[in-house]
Amino acid sequence: MDHARAAELFSDYADGSLPPALKAELEQHLSACIQCRTELHAFRQAVGSLSRLKKPAPAGFLPSIQKQIYERSRGRFFGKRWKLFGRIPFEWVSLAMIIAMLIYYIALLHGAPSGVRPGN
Amino acid sequence: MSLADRLLINRLKARDEQAFNEIVRRHGDQVFSLVYRMIGSRPEAEDIAQEVFVTVFKTIDGFRGESKFSTWLLRIAANQCKNRIKYLARRPAAASAYEDVAETAGSSASSLPPPAQGHIDAPDVLMEAAELESLTQAAIAALDDEHRLLIVLRDVEELSYQEIGDITGLAEGTVKSRLHRARMAIKEHLDKHTR
Repeated sequence: MDHARAAELFSDYADGSLPPALKAELEQHLSACIQCRTELHAFRQAVGSLSRLKKPAPAGFLPSIQKQIYERSRGRFFGKRWKLFGRIPFEWVSLAMIIAMLIYYIALLHGAPSGVRPGN
Repeated sequence: MSLADRLLINRLKARDEQAFNEIVRRHGDQVFSLVYRMIGSRPEAEDIAQEVFVTVFKTIDGFRGESKFSTWLLRIAANQCKNRIKYLARRPAAASAYEDVAETAGSSASSLPPPAQGHIDAPDVLMEAAELESLTQAAIAALDDEHRLLIVLRDVEELSYQEIGDITGLAEGTVKSRLHRARMAIKEHLDKHTR
């Protein structure tokens, strides 16, 4: 194995995903080659330094998003709940209106003077 | 996807504000970290990360649960980063999207994790850590956006190859070979600037 081939395997070796035969071949090369050992050490340090780069969200991140959402939707983005009864029960409202109209019609029918019936 | 996640998503689809807040609390750090390392500028990163969550809320009805929620979320974040990188590259005055890189050396000492009780790092140790962070961020910035995304997803956020494949739409073999090139480029950059 030459230096270039060894370097190609560094990622899989560092990830622990190198097939056993290749791993043994690489390790054999590394045991005899100080240049590749040094390169592998530098490679591992470089990759290791990346794992320390996690950055937490700044304070006030959530309120900033909430503010944006409220501003863009003019306060309508989140479903507003009807304070007393949950959501407005539109199906019950329409049923009540139909019943009210029926009652009104019947009342009108019975309250009208004889001989003058609605629809006549 | 776990049952708890599914319930949370259903609540979000019903426009439940508490569910939205919970999602930002759970995923906010990861999204911000990804975006910050992709873009390199704190104000830009804050803006994009916020936009990611606004997009999530606006498009949650289109999430069918075929992938993990976090995968879907990070895909949105990655796409928004790529769009912003293109936009910034077109703006002549925006060549310094990575302006924070230099600034980081001075400021990130204060953003390092607090020392354990009874142990205070010497200022030179903190400065050294800040310089290394700045140098590593500059190495990431030198990569093109495709390689940068792979490095951030794998080596900063420590996602599996499977998740990275789901986010980027690349085959595992492609992810691995590109990631190797990106890692070697980072190593070369650090070698060059630390020797």
